[in-house]
Amino acid sequence: MTLSQAADVGAKGAVLAPRRGAGSGRLARIGQRAVGSPALIVGGAVVLLAVLVAVFGPSLAPYPYDKQDLLHANLPPLSPGHLLGTDQTGRDMLARLALGVRISLLVGFGVTAIAVAVGCVLGAIAGYYRGWADTVISGVVELVWGFPLILLAVIIAGSLGPGLRSAILALGIINWAGFARLMRGEVVSLREAEFVQAAKAVGVSDARVLWRHVLPNVVASTLVMASYYVALAIVTEAGLSFIGLGAQPPLPSLGVMIAEGRNYMLQNQWVTTIPGVAILLIVLGLNFLGDGLRDVLDPRLRRG
Amino acid sequence: MGAFLARRSVRMLVILLIASVAVFYGLRVAPGDPTGAVLSPMALESAREAYRERLGLNQPILTQYATYVRNLFQGNLGTSLVTGKPIGELLAIYGRNSLILGAAALLLTYAVGVPLGVLAAAKRGSWVDTLASGLAVIGLGMPNFWLALLLIVLFSSRLRWLPSAGCCSPKHLILPAIVLAAEGMAVTTRLMRSSMLEQLGQDYVRTHRAKGLAERVVVGSRAFHNALLPIISLAGLRVGWLIGYALIVETIFQWPGVGFLLVDSVIRRDYPVAQFFSMLLVLLVVFGNFLADIAYGLADPRVRHA
Repeated sequence: MTLSQAADVGAKGAVLAPRRGAGSGRLARIGQRAVGSPALIVGGAVVLLAVLVAVFGPSLAPYPYDKQDLLHANLPPLSPGHLLGTDQTGRDMLARLALGVRISLLVGFGVTAIAVAVGCVLGAIAGYYRGWADTVISGVVELVWGFPLILLAVIIAGSLGPGLRSAILALGIINWAGFARLMRGEVVSLREAEFVQAAKAVGVSDARVLWRHVLPNVVASTLVMASYYVALAIVTEAGLSFIGLGAQPPLPSLGVMIAEGRNYMLQNQWVTTIPGVAILLIVLGLNFLGDGLRDVLDPRLRRG
Repeated sequence: MGAFLARRSVRMLVILLIASVAVFYGLRVAPGDPTGAVLSPMALESAREAYRERLGLNQPILTQYATYVRNLFQGNLGTSLVTGKPIGELLAIYGRNSLILGAAALLLTYAVGVPLGVLAAAKRGSWVDTLASGLAVIGLGMPNFWLALLLIVLFSSRLRWLPSAGCCSPKHLILPAIVLAAEGMAVTTRLMRSSMLEQLGQDYVRTHRAKGLAERVVVGSRAFHNALLPIISLAGLRVGWLIGYALIVETIFQWPGVGFLLVDSVIRRDYPVAQFFSMLLVLLVVFGNFLADIAYGLADPRVRHA
């Protein structure tokens, strides 16, 4: 065992759990808390269901999402052959919903994954090295932090033309800043911690210190924040698609489905209700998942 | 405090400069220059060239920016390509409508969110708390455009109490204001509740109770004042969110405000209008964040010296 490995082990023991046999003990306790957290179970189940629909739904759907059938338009849910009914042009709601959920989740998880990666790396650099890197990165964070997503997306749509692209770009430009802020704050305080100083003193490289000693301590808060951001991204995409600046018809983004159904709401409310409920459930599921993760992974963050 | 103000002001101006150049540049590089929106698709290249010349589009971008800013300061805001109306006139009409809607939504947000949050915290675990927290959770997840459609179906189509779209009577204001405020009410209720609970758990509250101060005073005055701090610090950010959501809400209800105008001008590629109102909203957001910073510095002296 080299010195740096010893420092790693020491750090883990010190930070993650004070007892011996730290690894399994910690996991077991997380498991216990997870069972006792209804928010985590309910939120996790809803999100898992949405992911399954997004992954398998579109290929299992009995009809193509854009196949019109005017003889069977405006069928209510539970009609024969159409589990969720059909819309005003007879397109199968189930097929459209499955694809809509897939688009929403792709945008939500995709954008957030990139935001986490970019934000964490930049935040870690800013917090660890301070100096001019910190000045520049924190300056950019200040610039985009708190800027309204929808306004930026509208401006980008003005530049590039409406489309899913402008929604994704706006989310990408803004959302990393939150993670950079979080990461920077954690790194600044951890940098001075004894176990990090100890690791540095025995010659552990910067990258390794960040990876082995700092990162494990910010995973919890990053995961919690990420689940809220996925929800935010999904709602924003849906809103932009609804007003015509996001995904364009006939692509059935959930926002587009609601927009297309709004003129027929009195004849057939299901066309707007089904995607609306889907968004509500996904967003609430993600929020619950975030709350649950917070309780389970980091009891210090638990709110009253 | 003076140095703090000066630092923050300089930072705001820098951010404003960068943001406005970015917006200006962003809208200039749009594919299909504005000649496509105004002139017929059959127009000759020479006509397009003349048009670009007239708008000054063939000059370097920084020169264009300087000209634009100079014109702004001289009160020359340009005219709409689609309707031909001067932008100053649009600003007066649409700006006023947006201010009315925004003020109504802000009022609703705090007039509902703050008392509801305090009540939920004071009666923790009671049905009031359950109801308030439940409503707040739903308000948080409910996409505002869908809420708008549901309210329109209920109050306009079925009950016929309120108009579904348009302007500008108080009746027209009710639905858009509720929808615009919905998420804010939910966030404020939750934040107020948790902030209040935190204060009620503090030692000073126990001391007040122990010395026999009426519960009404402990909750309503002592704890309440301290619990308000996070709400105040979030108020500046709310301005930004409000502007963002106004784009969607005004579009749904056809409320003739700045948000509606901006979305409409982007879709129609009426680009002097899009440019002016994007810049205006960006300015408002940056200024809102600046005010939040200052308010925070006033409330918490530690921030000033950071």
